[in-house]
Amino acid sequence: MLDGLVITRRFDTPTWLLALVFLAGIAAGLAMATALLVAIGVPASALFNEVIGEAFMTASGLAQTLTFATPLICVGLSAAVALRLRFWNIGIEGQLWLGALGATAVALGDVGPEATRLPLMLVAAALAGAAWIALPLVLKLRLGVSEVISTLLLGSIAFLFAQHLLFGAWRDPATGFPISLAFDASERLAALGFGRTHLGLPIALAAALLVWFLVDVTRLGFYGRAVGENIEAARAAGVPVIAVTCAFVLLSGALSGLAGGLIVAGTEHRMSLTLGAGYTFSGIVIAFLGRFRPLATVVVAVIIGGVFTASDVFKVFYGISEAVVVLLQGLVLFGVLVAQFFGAYRISRANWGASA
Amino acid sequence: MTETAIAHPAGDGRPVSPGAGAPPGTPPALELAGVHKAFDGKPALIDAGFTLRRGEVHALVGENGAGKSTLMNVATGVYAADAGRELVDGELVRIRGPVDAAAAGLGMVHQHFRLVPRFTVAENVRLALGRRAGSPAAAAALVAAKAEKIGFPVRPDARVADLSVAERQRAEILKVLLLGARVLILDEPTAVLTEQESDALLAFTARLATQGGSVVLITHKLREVAARADRVTVMRQGRTVLDGAPIASVSSAEVARLAVGATVAPVARPRRAPGGPALTVDGLAHRRDDGGVTLDGLTLSLREGEVLGLAGVGGNGQSELVACLAGLAAPRAGSVALAGRDITTASPAARRDLGLRVVPADRFAFGLIRGFSVADNLALAALRRGRYGAPFGVARRRIRRDAEAAIRDHEIHGAAPGRSTGLLSGGNAQKVLLARELDDAVRVLVAHSPTRGLDVRAAQAVQAAIAAAAERGVACLLISEDLEELMALSARIAVINRGRIVGEMPVEDASAAALGALMVGHA
Amino acid sequence: MSGFLVGWLAAIPAYAAPLLLAALGLILSERAGVLNLSAEGVMAIGAMTGAAVVLSGIAPTLGILAGVAAGAGLSLVFAIVVVVFRGDQTLAGLTTVAVGIGLAGVLGRDYVQKPFAGIERFGADAAPATGAFERFFLQQDPLILVTLVLVVAVWWFLERTRAGLQLRAVGEDPGTADVAGVDVQMVRIAAVVAGGALCGLSGAYLSVAASHVWVEGMIAGRGWIAVALVIFARWDARRALLGALIFGAAEALGPRLQAVGAPVPTYLMMMLPYALTLAVLVLSSLVGRRGTDEPAALGSIYLRQDKS
Repeated sequence: MLDGLVITRRFDTPTWLLALVFLAGIAAGLAMATALLVAIGVPASALFNEVIGEAFMTASGLAQTLTFATPLICVGLSAAVALRLRFWNIGIEGQLWLGALGATAVALGDVGPEATRLPLMLVAAALAGAAWIALPLVLKLRLGVSEVISTLLLGSIAFLFAQHLLFGAWRDPATGFPISLAFDASERLAALGFGRTHLGLPIALAAALLVWFLVDVTRLGFYGRAVGENIEAARAAGVPVIAVTCAFVLLSGALSGLAGGLIVAGTEHRMSLTLGAGYTFSGIVIAFLGRFRPLATVVVAVIIGGVFTASDVFKVFYGISEAVVVLLQGLVLFGVLVAQFFGAYRISRANWGASA
Repeated sequence: MTETAIAHPAGDGRPVSPGAGAPPGTPPALELAGVHKAFDGKPALIDAGFTLRRGEVHALVGENGAGKSTLMNVATGVYAADAGRELVDGELVRIRGPVDAAAAGLGMVHQHFRLVPRFTVAENVRLALGRRAGSPAAAAALVAAKAEKIGFPVRPDARVADLSVAERQRAEILKVLLLGARVLILDEPTAVLTEQESDALLAFTARLATQGGSVVLITHKLREVAARADRVTVMRQGRTVLDGAPIASVSSAEVARLAVGATVAPVARPRRAPGGPALTVDGLAHRRDDGGVTLDGLTLSLREGEVLGLAGVGGNGQSELVACLAGLAAPRAGSVALAGRDITTASPAARRDLGLRVVPADRFAFGLIRGFSVADNLALAALRRGRYGAPFGVARRRIRRDAEAAIRDHEIHGAAPGRSTGLLSGGNAQKVLLARELDDAVRVLVAHSPTRGLDVRAAQAVQAAIAAAAERGVACLLISEDLEELMALSARIAVINRGRIVGEMPVEDASAAALGALMVGHA
Repeated sequence: MSGFLVGWLAAIPAYAAPLLLAALGLILSERAGVLNLSAEGVMAIGAMTGAAVVLSGIAPTLGILAGVAAGAGLSLVFAIVVVVFRGDQTLAGLTTVAVGIGLAGVLGRDYVQKPFAGIERFGADAAPATGAFERFFLQQDPLILVTLVLVVAVWWFLERTRAGLQLRAVGEDPGTADVAGVDVQMVRIAAVVAGGALCGLSGAYLSVAASHVWVEGMIAGRGWIAVALVIFARWDARRALLGALIFGAAEALGPRLQAVGAPVPTYLMMMLPYALTLAVLVLSSLVGRRGTDEPAALGSIYLRQDKS
């Protein structure tokens, strides 16, 4: 197939070409997404208004977008940190559920004095997330078990554990719904006075700064890059591979757990079973589109937050399933995956035997 | 069953006259002209040409990277050339892939054999022959019959992974002949063979030629094949510099001069008197994950300032020995001591702190990081010694300065501190690795095939660096399949065979024949 | 007690069949060297399409075929991305899952939660059975028999036919297969699409045969269990059958215990298949045979022009 074409690897792709194919891929993905939305009944004229206009140009929409973006920044960082080591954390949702459960447990159990309750909730969330990724980490390091599957399976188990609690011990006795009791005022992150945005947003931004410092400035980050590029070469060069891997992967789990904590403490103010869906894939998309760079991740997370806002609009006005969010992200990623081919390879026509 | 054009070779391997078997006026079996090919803009072939007569053994000679293999890969359609033309038996052909090549009667035995390791020989033949092979049983019968006919002992039901290198080569040649090859192209066929095995192979190719087949021997070692070839073509830097001269008409010195462009002085063997014990390996045993024994009680020791050569056919435990010494693989038994300290279970980092340095056969396997800049690769190992700032810091400016100095001192061409290491040529990448490993704290250097794939000048620079290190008192374990290199540098040469040391001798007593006998276990 | 046992055993095949079908599909793809994580999404599109076709008044058999076609279609996209455009196979697999689930949700919004008459069990309109064997058999359906035939067919294809030999060669050593005249790209695309058809069949089985209804999220991680099952089965169709029965048994246990009124923690019981999968992964790596059965070129990108 395609025998008339000759494909050779590029060893030194110029930066402008990388940027060009990347943007072209996003454009192609967006074009596919637009075509699809129009095909299922969203007027083309409305698309611009809903997505750009509603999600970014109105105060209430922007506030909503930033609220969505808060946990998205954390999961994007989580995926980016793990992927820097080529560690596929597909259990982001699981760690997020555990983080939410950890924060909720602290809140419902009234652990510690009220003044330190909120910090404690967030610490518990991060620790719970880190703990949940520790098992796949150990299995990978000790036995070589693929983390793709182990993190994913633990994600399903985490969700079932949340259901176990919310249909059982934590069920709201008043309504019987599978939601926990609402948190006290001291267990809620303060609102920023702009829509539903809350203190979680600056916390997420601070997390991004911290991650940037760790992976782009310090020796840990330098070692991490070596481990991600070639683990054997790093080991042979004396890099403490195990310690570096543990640090990155546990940080990834903690960031996902923090995302869960920010959702319950900042937005939901209680534990529910609807708060965690879809974050794994969004995290990977954000990390990938942000080129695994912490600060770029923030920007992409805000854009994806806008997609979430727009999807709410689609749902209310056009009755479109919220699965459209994951579909849109998937199409854009397909676009980028295909486009990157043109940056990584040179395609030419065979000129063999034409003449001498 | 397909009848190949090569009839039963019954000759006794006597030398044949140039162009034997082909009456005058017969068009060449294979002719290439004006071939251009570039890899990512880097030219690999520039107006290259080659003419092969029917019934001859033709040596295609040149340094590593001269374009010999690339030219033959173009001829067989593995690579698509950017320009040029190809004639088979005088007819213009357009070979776009392996299927076309087989149809035109061209068969190539690559350095990396085209055999699926997990398949049996018969399954591999069935894969290659497609419909013509018939049922699995028919394919096995075909293999057995052909093996009988050409006098190659090849078992059809043996798994390729279980065969020795020489056996694999025979299976591959048999497969290519079954495919109907009238032109047999062998890429560095003797590189993986012992002297005795090489002799047998070259006798076989001579027999093929007397029966009307044509053979191309791609090699960078002229001497080995000169006696068996009828004509020689020399390539240098992608160009044909000598086009099909009768072997009798050129001296080997002339061919060497053409291939290299200029002669390089051989590296002098280090003459420092050995000091105290540096590295002691005692009874080392190792197995693969699937249980295969790779090291079987290997024992050796080397002293300060001494180069110990380790000869052996590839795949006899060399890679596993290197991995165990580097601390990347765990031996099942035995011990390793460095200057009297047991390091059998020490981490790679701890070994490095004690002065052990390893240069692996594939420098990008666990030596350099392809995607890292030259500066970062140079700094990676020194970071932990505190050269680049506080434990959590990275002193970028100092790393850059050191890299500039290293590039200058080691004459690493085409390198800049910020340039990606993967973009360097093999020789220059190897210089980066040696610049890092031969630092001022090195005490023991383990180098595995350090010059493989390098051109003559780069190889000479690497050998000189090893010799200089030994003169400084560094103990060097030089593991190589290149006996010339071993004999040039080593004070003693040990032979590894099936994971054991089967013999050891001072270099004065060593000869290719004696080492070869030990390497195949006839001793 | 024997009543419970027969009921449990009788329920196992219906749980095992979708896992097995998807695993067979993934085996085809991975033996050709394409790492395939897409099952969850391909099954979703298969399940939705099957249900949508049957709800539109078309025969259930055609609904199943439509699910097969939808699975093959989505897998073709995946195959083109990874084989022609050399996209990262892990990321492309995850993206295919997202697109499959997303498409199923968006296109299937009108078909959610609408029960229909799909493919019935053998005992659907028979008198209540008496004998244990009869009770077991009447709980099965025609697709379970098809699944068993497919196990044999996939095994026979891979191990005995020339096309199977070529497919395995592509997964072991694409360079060698290429030199042998095998069109590496076409074989990989064909293997992925055929595998996608089987995953589509698996999804359609869930909606059209097992549940007679479609809801979003009904695949519920079965695609991922199938991915793990392939590792457990060491890329062998026969061992996949064994593995699917074990997983099916674990999945069937909770509902059967509830059906006989045993007090079991529902959600903790539902963790069983996932926990079991994890345990199996750990065990299979402990056995130490890891790597020896994995197709050697799994996940690698093949480019003829690469300098080796």
